[in-house]
Amino acid sequence: MQTIAIIGASGSMGSALSKSLAKGNYRLLLCANDLDKVKAVAADIKKSYPTAEVEAIDCTREACWEADIIIAAIPFGAEQEMADKIREVATQKIVISIANPLNDTYDGLVTAPDTSAAEELQKLLPNSKVVKAFNTTFAADFATPVIDGKRADAFIAGNDGEALQTVSELVETAGFNPVVAGGLTVSRTLESMQQC
Amino acid sequence: MYNLFFQHFNSKVQLTEDEQAHIKAYLTLKKIRKKQYLLQEGDVCKMIAFVEKGALRAYSVDENSNEHIIQFGLEGWTISDLFSFLTGEPATYNIDALEDSELVIISKSAHEELLQTMPKYETFTRLNITGAYLAMQRRLTSIISASVEERYQDFIALYPHIAQRVPQHMIASYMGLTPETLSRIRKRISSK
Repeated sequence: MQTIAIIGASGSMGSALSKSLAKGNYRLLLCANDLDKVKAVAADIKKSYPTAEVEAIDCTREACWEADIIIAAIPFGAEQEMADKIREVATQKIVISIANPLNDTYDGLVTAPDTSAAEELQKLLPNSKVVKAFNTTFAADFATPVIDGKRADAFIAGNDGEALQTVSELVETAGFNPVVAGGLTVSRTLESMQQC
Repeated sequence: MYNLFFQHFNSKVQLTEDEQAHIKAYLTLKKIRKKQYLLQEGDVCKMIAFVEKGALRAYSVDENSNEHIIQFGLEGWTISDLFSFLTGEPATYNIDALEDSELVIISKSAHEELLQTMPKYETFTRLNITGAYLAMQRRLTSIISASVEERYQDFIALYPHIAQRVPQHMIASYMGLTPETLSRIRKRISSK
């Protein structure tokens, strides 16, 4: 059984994602700055899935140390701080970037055109396997990933074949249809799909 | 976090600081809690784990659900299903933690890349696998030819202090004895 640390699990995307992964054969470690909020998410998951292995944890570094896969469900602006905390314990592990680096008015990106939030995270965590996923799905989609009898597509981008395979399985567990879009630079396209 | 690992590495092959940093980039640090599995029978073993802190065991389960412990992994030891790791066949062993543990893990892909790019890592691997082979041969010889008392003493020499950390029935399982027989032997040895 793989252990997944979800950083920012009390946010709308983080909690929706945690809940959808609780259906799978994963052990979930939920973390966020506010432990009470994340405990409430864990309790809510336990209510829906009594056998799910889910735990709220207050230390991001500890959670990532235990984890096989790390999901960064945090805004782009918080990536640097998170990376400094987890760099050593995230080495060689899959780190999923779900952020869209939108500006304050949600009509443009704060990243330069020749980069993306995922690529910036990869620079901050050079020895981890960063994969872009779940950024083209809204928090509301997690409740109903099947639209018109078809599972909604969820795009993935990354440079490591084995990591892409693992993340595809995770996306499928969450109820979506995984589509590998290409290498990590494709994140630029995936992230700009979310502008209003 | 990797102190013991590099101490062990340097005792076999001396590394410069740069080489150490190069290897660090390939190592996965993993904490595992008591009773959690690192590997389950039937899965392919894709890593070698070095025990930085804690204790694990590798064991098989027979058709009557009896557990047979093949190896303990204490601090400074390496634990894996080498057959599965090297051949890609499903693992025949389970590996789980007997205590909360901290591991330094080398994944199959990291292992292969290091083998190709770093001769010192290749030497380290050769020495490790040679050591594992010798240990296995010693264990085999001991099982088929030594008296039970000698075997218990060999075991204690190999794993000092283990009796304080691991339940007796597991030691009996490792030795292929019933717990009752092991208890009799320990009494006989201590009365000598």
